[in-house]
Amino acid sequence: MATTTNVHHQDSNPNTPAVAAPAKQTVPTAKTVDTQSVLKRLQSELMALMMGGDSGISAFPEEDNIFCWKGTIHGSKDTVFEGTEYKLSLSFPSDYPFKPPKVKFETACFHPNVDVYGNICLDILQDKWSSAYDVRTILLSIQSLLGEPNISSPLNTQAASLWANQEEYRKMVEKLYKPST
Amino acid sequence: MAATEGSPSSLMCDLTILDSLTENSIGEMADSWNAFCVAAEALLGGDGDLLFAPDVALHLRNICSHGLHSLVVEHFLCSLEDIFEKNGASRFWKHFDAYSNSAVLDMEDPDQQALLQDVLHKALEEISSEKQYQEKCLLMLVHALEMCSESNPEEKRYSDAERNNLFSKYQLAVSSVLMVSLPRHFPDVLHWYFKRRLEELSAMMATGCQYDNKLHVDDGMDLDCRTGEMDIDGTHLHRTILGNNKLIRNIGEVVRDLRNLGFTSLAEDAYASAIFLLLKAKVHELAGDEFRFSILESIKEWIQAVPLQFLHALFAYLGDSKSFGSPSSGLKSPLASHPSFRCYGTGIPSEGLVRWQLRLEYFAYETLQDLRIAKLFEIIVDYPDSSPAIEDLKQCLEYTGQHSKLVDSFIAALKYRLLTAGASTNDILHQYVSTIKALRTIDPAGVFLEAVGEPIREYLRGRKDTIKCIVTMLTDGAGGNPSGPGSTGDSLLEELNRDEENQENSSLADDVNTDDKQAWINAQSWEPDPVEADPLKGGRYQRKVDILGMIVGIIGSKDQLVNEYRVMLAEKLLNKSDYDIDSEIRTLELLKIHFGESSMQKCEIMLNDLINSKRINTNIKATIKQQPQPVADAGEHELSLDNLGATIISSNFWPPIQDEELNIPGPVDQLLSDYANRFHEIKTPRKLLWKKNLGTVKLELQFEDRTVPFTVTPLHASIISQFEDQTSWTSKNLAVAVGVPVDVLNRRIYFWINKGILAESIQESGDHTFTLVEALAESGKTGVNSGGCEELLAGDEDGERSVASVEDQLRKEMTVYEKFITGMLTNFGSMALDRIHNTLKMFCIGDPPYDKSLQQLQSFLAGLVAEEKLELRDGMYLLKK
Repeated sequence: MATTTNVHHQDSNPNTPAVAAPAKQTVPTAKTVDTQSVLKRLQSELMALMMGGDSGISAFPEEDNIFCWKGTIHGSKDTVFEGTEYKLSLSFPSDYPFKPPKVKFETACFHPNVDVYGNICLDILQDKWSSAYDVRTILLSIQSLLGEPNISSPLNTQAASLWANQEEYRKMVEKLYKPST
Repeated sequence: MAATEGSPSSLMCDLTILDSLTENSIGEMADSWNAFCVAAEALLGGDGDLLFAPDVALHLRNICSHGLHSLVVEHFLCSLEDIFEKNGASRFWKHFDAYSNSAVLDMEDPDQQALLQDVLHKALEEISSEKQYQEKCLLMLVHALEMCSESNPEEKRYSDAERNNLFSKYQLAVSSVLMVSLPRHFPDVLHWYFKRRLEELSAMMATGCQYDNKLHVDDGMDLDCRTGEMDIDGTHLHRTILGNNKLIRNIGEVVRDLRNLGFTSLAEDAYASAIFLLLKAKVHELAGDEFRFSILESIKEWIQAVPLQFLHALFAYLGDSKSFGSPSSGLKSPLASHPSFRCYGTGIPSEGLVRWQLRLEYFAYETLQDLRIAKLFEIIVDYPDSSPAIEDLKQCLEYTGQHSKLVDSFIAALKYRLLTAGASTNDILHQYVSTIKALRTIDPAGVFLEAVGEPIREYLRGRKDTIKCIVTMLTDGAGGNPSGPGSTGDSLLEELNRDEENQENSSLADDVNTDDKQAWINAQSWEPDPVEADPLKGGRYQRKVDILGMIVGIIGSKDQLVNEYRVMLAEKLLNKSDYDIDSEIRTLELLKIHFGESSMQKCEIMLNDLINSKRINTNIKATIKQQPQPVADAGEHELSLDNLGATIISSNFWPPIQDEELNIPGPVDQLLSDYANRFHEIKTPRKLLWKKNLGTVKLELQFEDRTVPFTVTPLHASIISQFEDQTSWTSKNLAVAVGVPVDVLNRRIYFWINKGILAESIQESGDHTFTLVEALAESGKTGVNSGGCEELLAGDEDGERSVASVEDQLRKEMTVYEKFITGMLTNFGSMALDRIHNTLKMFCIGDPPYDKSLQQLQSFLAGLVAEEKLELRDGMYLLKK
C-alpha cells in the first residue's frame, strides 16, 4: 500500500519531487503519517458512500490505488440529461482533504461548464474547496451542475448558447452521448 | 523313460554281448523271458500269497545270466503299474462314485456321514493292502536280483541306492496313476471328511472343557494348562487326549494312507482348509455382533485347545508311524508342516506345530479384523461400551498391519450411513467424537484418524447448524439436544476438563524432559510414523490427537466458534432472572484455556456485566430502602423496585441485540425510569437505556374462580395487562396501545389464546377482536393447558430471540459486501471473481473487515445472480440492468 501511495504522490504533484528530492530527507516520515490519515479518510468516505445509498451517483477506487477513483453519475430526472450516464475520474492529492481532488469527465459531456477534454469548471473544485466536502458532495454537486449550469462563465460556449432551447439541447445531448460499454 | 535312466551299464556291455550271440542263446533268452513274464503276471495277479515267487526268481536268474536284468526291472515295474491301475486305482475311485455330486456331501444326515467315513476307511484300507502286496513283490524282485548279482561276481553288488531308486520309482508310478485318474470330487470328499472329524473333536474338547471347568472351578487354571507350551502333562488333557485317541488314530490312519498313496499335499490341503473353516466359524460365532467383550483371548485359547491339539496328536501319530520306515513319506508337502517329529515328547513344541500356531493365529487375527472392520460403524456407535472390541481390533491391526483396509471400509460406511441428509448434525458430531476417541486407541498418532475424519469434516462444513451444534455440545451439559444422546455434551465438556489436566501433565513432562537421561530414553523409544502418514501434517508428537482441536478444525477458525458461543451465551444470560452464572463461568474458564484469554475477552466482559449487575441491583435497592418513597400510594398497583431486577450490559461487547419498540404499562414504566435515575445517581455519568422488549415477566392472573401464574416476555405481559381495564380489544386498537405493529401483535397474542385466557372473534369489518375469557368453564377444553403454566414462552418463534444470531450478523456483513460490489461494478462495468475478491480485500476494511474466502464470495455472488441483481457472463460479473 505504502509504495503505491508514494508513486501516486509523485504523479499528482509533478513539480515537487524531482527538484527537491535530495533536500527533503526528513520529510518522508511526516508524509507517511499524513498518508495514513489520508488513507483513513478515503476509506471512511468510501464506506460512507457505499452505505449511503444515494441513487444516481457512485464512485470506487481503482484496483490497487485508493487515490484514483472512478465515478459514475446519472443525469437527474426532468433534466435534459435524463437517462444518461457519465463516467468521471477523481484523483486525490496526497494532502487531501486540504486540497480538492482533480475531477474530470471520462465520457464526453455536452455541457456549458465542461470542456472537450472533460475538465469541469466548478467553484467547489477550485477556490471554494473546503475540507468539509467529500466524494459524495462532489458527485452530488456535479450531478446538480448538469441540470443547472453556470451560463455566465462557460467552457463550452456552444452548449451555453444552446442551453436556452432545452428541446434542441436535449437532441444535442442525445447525439453526442456515447455511453461507455 | 525309466529304461533310459536305469540302464547306462547295460548299454555299455551291449556290444560285447552282441558278439557272443548265437541262435541257441537267443532262443534260450526268449524262452526264459516268456517264462518270466508268465510267472510275474501270475505273481502280481495272485492273492497276495507270493506262491509264484520262486518261479519268478528262477526265470529271473536265467535272464540275468544274459545281462538283461535292467529289462526285467523295467518290465516288472510296468506290470506293477498296469495292475495297480486296473486293480487298485479304478476300484478305489469306484468307492467314491456316489459322491460325485457334491450336494450329497452337504447333507447333515448322520447315516450318510457314517457311511462316507466307512467308505473312505475301507477304500483306503483296500488300496493300501494292494499297494503293500505290490511292495512285497517288488522287495522279492530286489532280493532275487541281489542273489543274481551275488552269484555273478562280475556284477557289482546290488546297492542300496539302486534299491531306493527302484522304490521311489514305484511310488512315483503309483502317485501318478492315482493323480491322473483323480476324480474332481475327491478333494471335496477329503475336505468334508476332515471337517466332520474336526467338528467332532471340537465338540469333544468343548465337553471336556466343561467337565474340566467343573473340576477346576476354583483355581481357574484349566485353560492355562492347554495354552502355553502344549503341556500335555496336564492330567485332564491326558484324559481328553485318551478319549480322542481313537478318533485321532482314525484320522491319523487316513492321513498316513493318503500320504502313502502320494496324496500328502492333498491331505494337508484338506485338513488345513477344514481347520481354517472351523476357525473362521469359531471366530464368527464368538465375535458376532457382540462388542462388549474382548474375544481375542478366547479365540487364542480355542486355537490351542482344538486345532493345535488335533495337529499335535496327528503329528505324534504320524511320527510313530514313521518308524515303520515307509519310504513313501519322502515326498514333502509344500505346506509348512513337516514337523521334526523327534522333538516331540520333550515338552518343546515342534517347529511345525509352532508354524501352524502362527499361521492359525494370523488367520484368526485377520478374520476378526475383517469382521470388526466391517462392523466398525456400529462399534463406534456403541463406543464407550464397545471399547473391548476396539481393543481387539487394535491388537489385530498391530499384527496384520492392514490399517488402510480399515480406513477405506470405514470411510465407505460413513458416506453411506452417516453423511446423508437424513442424519442430524448432532448425531454426526456425536459419531465424529466417538470416532476420534475410538481411533485414538487404535492409532495414537492419529494418522488414520486424519484420513477418516476428513470426509466427516468436509460434510459438516456444508451444514449450516454445525457451529451451533458444536457450541451447544461444548457448553450445555446433558441437556440442550433432545434428539442426540445426552452424553454428547458431557463428553465434550469432559474433554475440556481433560485438556486442562493434560496441560498440567505435559508441563510436568517437560520438566522431566530436561533431564538428559530421559531425553536419551525418549530418543531410544522413537518409532517412525506409519507409512501412510502425511509428512506435511507434522511429526508424530505434534500430531497428538486433540478432540477439541479436531472439532474446531471442522469450522476452520476458532473465531467463528467463539462468536457463536458469544451469541449463545448472550441469549442465555439475558434470559436469566437470577444472577447465577457459576456454570457459565466454569465453561468460560475452560474455553479460555483452550482458545486463549484474548479471544474470550468479550465473553468475559459479558459475564462480568452479570456480576456487576447483581451488585448494582442490590446497591440500588438498598439506597431506595434508606430513603423511603415519599409517594406512599399503595394502591392497586403495588409495585416496588424489589420486584425489578436489571441485567446491565455493556452493549459494545455484546452481540447486536434485537430492538423492538414497545409500550409497557405506566406503573412499570415509572418503575423503570425510577430505577434508571437511581442508576444515574450511583454511576454518574453513566445512564441506563432500557431494552424493554427483553427479559422476562413473572405475573399472576387473577380471575373470578382461579389464579394462574405465568412467566412470559414483556410483550406478552404488556398485551395481557391491557385487558385489566378493558376486557375486549380490537387488534388495531390493541396494537396502538401496546405500541407494536398489528402483525406482530397478532402473532404474539396467540400465546394467550392458546392458553385459553383470550378468545378471538372476527368482526364484519375484518378486524379481529380479542376478549378476555373470565371463567374457566367457558374454555373447559383448555383448562388442562392453563394449569401449571410454568413452561416458558410457549410457541417460541424466531422473533423471540433477544440476540441477533450469527446468521443475522453474517447477513448484515453480506449486505455491506453487496453494496461494495454494486459500487465497484457500477464504476468498472464488469469484473472477474478474482478482481472483486481482491478489491474487497483492499477496500472493504471496515468493521468487520472482509475476511471471506474466494469460494464464499463465489457462492455469495451466485446468490446475487440468482436474485437477478447481477449477471455472470464469460466469467465476468456485471450489474443486471
